[in-house]
Amino acid sequence: MQTLVLGLGNPILRDDGIGPRIARELEGNLIENVTVMEASLAGLNLLDLLVGYDRVIIVDAIKTSKGKPGRIYRLGIDDFGFTRHATSTHDVNLATALELGKKLGLALPRKINILAIEVAETDHFGEELTPEVAEAIPLCVEMIVDDLKTGNIA
Amino acid sequence: MASCKATDAVYHVDPPPAAKKLRELFYCAHMIHSHIAHFYALAAPDFVLGPMSDPAQRNILGVVAKVGLQIGGEVIKHRAYAQSIQAAIGGKATHPVCGLPGGMSKAITEEERKDFEEKAKSLVEFARFSIKLFNDVVLSNKEYLDLITGDVYTMKSYYLGLVDTNNKVNFYDGVLRLVDQDGKEVAKFKAAEYLDYIAEHVEPWSYMKFPFLKKVGWKGFTEGKDSGVYRVSPLARLNVADGMATPLAQAEYEKLYKTFGVKPVHATLAFHWARLVELLYAAERLLELCRDKEITSPDVRTIPTTTPDEGVGVVEAPRGTLIHHYKTDDKGIVQKVNLIVATAHNYPAMNMSIKKAAQGLIKKGQVVSEGLLNMVEMAFRAYDPCMACATHTLPGQMPLEVIIYNSQGETTKRLSRFVRT
Repeated sequence: MQTLVLGLGNPILRDDGIGPRIARELEGNLIENVTVMEASLAGLNLLDLLVGYDRVIIVDAIKTSKGKPGRIYRLGIDDFGFTRHATSTHDVNLATALELGKKLGLALPRKINILAIEVAETDHFGEELTPEVAEAIPLCVEMIVDDLKTGNIA
Repeated sequence: MASCKATDAVYHVDPPPAAKKLRELFYCAHMIHSHIAHFYALAAPDFVLGPMSDPAQRNILGVVAKVGLQIGGEVIKHRAYAQSIQAAIGGKATHPVCGLPGGMSKAITEEERKDFEEKAKSLVEFARFSIKLFNDVVLSNKEYLDLITGDVYTMKSYYLGLVDTNNKVNFYDGVLRLVDQDGKEVAKFKAAEYLDYIAEHVEPWSYMKFPFLKKVGWKGFTEGKDSGVYRVSPLARLNVADGMATPLAQAEYEKLYKTFGVKPVHATLAFHWARLVELLYAAERLLELCRDKEITSPDVRTIPTTTPDEGVGVVEAPRGTLIHHYKTDDKGIVQKVNLIVATAHNYPAMNMSIKKAAQGLIKKGQVVSEGLLNMVEMAFRAYDPCMACATHTLPGQMPLEVIIYNSQGETTKRLSRFVRT
């Protein structure tokens, strides 16, 4: 059973770097058969990374209307299947990429969990997280480690 | 790749021939992956499903449902081939880490070369298949051909792109050639001279700049020879060149111009066709480079010895000409940067193409359907724009304003995400 924990985001766009930051924290908590990776990818490029894993936990930044920075949401791919419109002008969204991969018989994970952290600042360049978002790191790391140990993501 | 070449220039260093070939090989793979993704995921839905089709179907899943799972599998497989070649050379396919001033970080092995060659052979066949699919689905359909050649999606502009010493299309190296609306060469210049030819206009309502031809001048969003608006793109590259440097792509190049009966071609939707001609060229060139005796040479780096200062690098990115210009201190730490990406070059033209499509397609009293709006979007989509890459300023607010007028031309509502100053 191979598991991938994938921290997504741009590490030099302030809070958008929360996913890669958590991935780096996790590297000190290595668990057997778990690969930890950082990436700044989407759509079809992301699909390439997921092939061959049984389970995947994606950690990414999220911005919701009036959301409280630092709050952690547990989401699934179905939460993003509401639109087939491309989220970028030159790629497809993840839900579409995954459905395509499934139709084409790629060896895709049977379960993908998403941990999304509400962020505050993604309009300026910088490697520092805002304090509220940085405070979410220990809890998020604990949640991932627990999920991996208990198999709670299957 | 433009930044690699800019750092070569900053350090006044010329990479060894094997490094240049390896960069070009890498870059052909990059072009292939990008062109496959654009054609099948973004362009094909409008043609395979139809521009007025249900948006729930008008996506890559709809394309696969219509053309068959087997073809879908081939798309994913060949895109992954191109990505795997980039990853082998660059450490990772996206955001590679192989480029250094004066060359590349590592050479490739004979084993890797053989693997690349097998993939390149398959990519040539896949590119040929893609062109056949475009012929069968798009060019054989009179309605689509009329749409591509029609006035609504036509814009007469100058064109800019890199050419080699024989004036053939080249993605990695060469000189910039500028042609006018009649295809006449008006300038040929090196990357380092770009500031003599290109200037950038600014509008308060956009976070991007509007490049224009300096010697013609910025005359607003207008077509014709008196306007400095120019375009870069797969079609622009074909328009500025005298042909393709590989035989199969050359035959497709000739077919494109024969169909239109004129050169340059000003049809914005023909960007898609040009993209496929380039896909074939990139695959053929990839195969040539895989068979080059020098490609596995370990001599892939010239160590810089001079003090760094300033340099310009240019390549043809998938969407068009890409210019990087750096000024550094004597330790090589960047002090000033200017980037003109393909989407920026095309930004004035993109605005004009959208306006022309909207004015040509939406008639007074007509219900504006989702399909009609999609046809306006098609004018935009042809450019395969990357607005993020082209962003010049991040003010922390979106400088976008929507003004809604009633039939008397009076403002009824103003929506904005920024504070007017």
